[in-house]
Amino acid sequence: MGLEIMHTQETNHKNIFYPPGGILIWIIIFLELFTFGAALIAMVYYGNQESELFHNSSLKLNATYGMVNTMLLLTSGFFMAISVTELKRGNKEKFKNLLLFTMLFGCLFLCLKGIEYREKLNEDISIGYNTFFSFYWMLTLFHVIHVIVGLVILTSVYFGVKKENSNTSIEDVEASAAFWHMCDLIWIILFPIIYLLF
Amino acid sequence: MHKTATITWIVLLVLTLAAALFSKLESHYIILIILSLAALKFLGITFQFMEMKKAHIFWKVIIIGFLALFVLALLIIV
Repeated sequence: MGLEIMHTQETNHKNIFYPPGGILIWIIIFLELFTFGAALIAMVYYGNQESELFHNSSLKLNATYGMVNTMLLLTSGFFMAISVTELKRGNKEKFKNLLLFTMLFGCLFLCLKGIEYREKLNEDISIGYNTFFSFYWMLTLFHVIHVIVGLVILTSVYFGVKKENSNTSIEDVEASAAFWHMCDLIWIILFPIIYLLF
Repeated sequence: MHKTATITWIVLLVLTLAAALFSKLESHYIILIILSLAALKFLGITFQFMEMKKAHIFWKVIIIGFLALFVLALLIIV
């Protein structure tokens, strides 16, 4: 299906089998949310058992990094959302530019995370440092992997749409966007618990 | 042009800033406030950015149900 006619054949998302992005991506999203959710509940449980250790450990984190990273991901998600709207309106060029901004903010997130990780490693705070930092490293690294996978998907969408005879459908773009927003969602629940709660 | 998305984005940024500022305060309700702000952001992203507002009621119930269970579980443990 060509991109030119895609916007005239929008899916009816009121149908239970066609949520925005498609049913398969939503099954993945829920599996991811339950996995991260269960790990965060376990973290809070252990935080209750070792409250002093968790409090002192969380003081070693820079909450400003966490806050700025949240803002970067939210901004990236904003560009993703409006880029999909532009594609549905048939503005392919605008879509591509907005998608580049989406990826730029995703990369900035990774850069800041890299700086934070470097600081922690310089202080010899690695995954085995204590229970708090075991959760910190596992959860944030797992999330970083999702962001990297998301960036790879968005890059492939960008080049797919850029082609003259593009066979990238609006459903493909919506599913990729849903995956990218999932990274936002996971971070939105990670940030307050890891950086602010203890 | 993208009025709803822009307003949602600004609100999400303000809520993030508010959560960071509230976390500095000493109060029994801080945990509740922080989790409530996170829940609001979660709903903002799902319903506006992910267009869940256009989806079948089933998906809306599932996403709100997950969020309610998650927050409730955390509040019970804390």
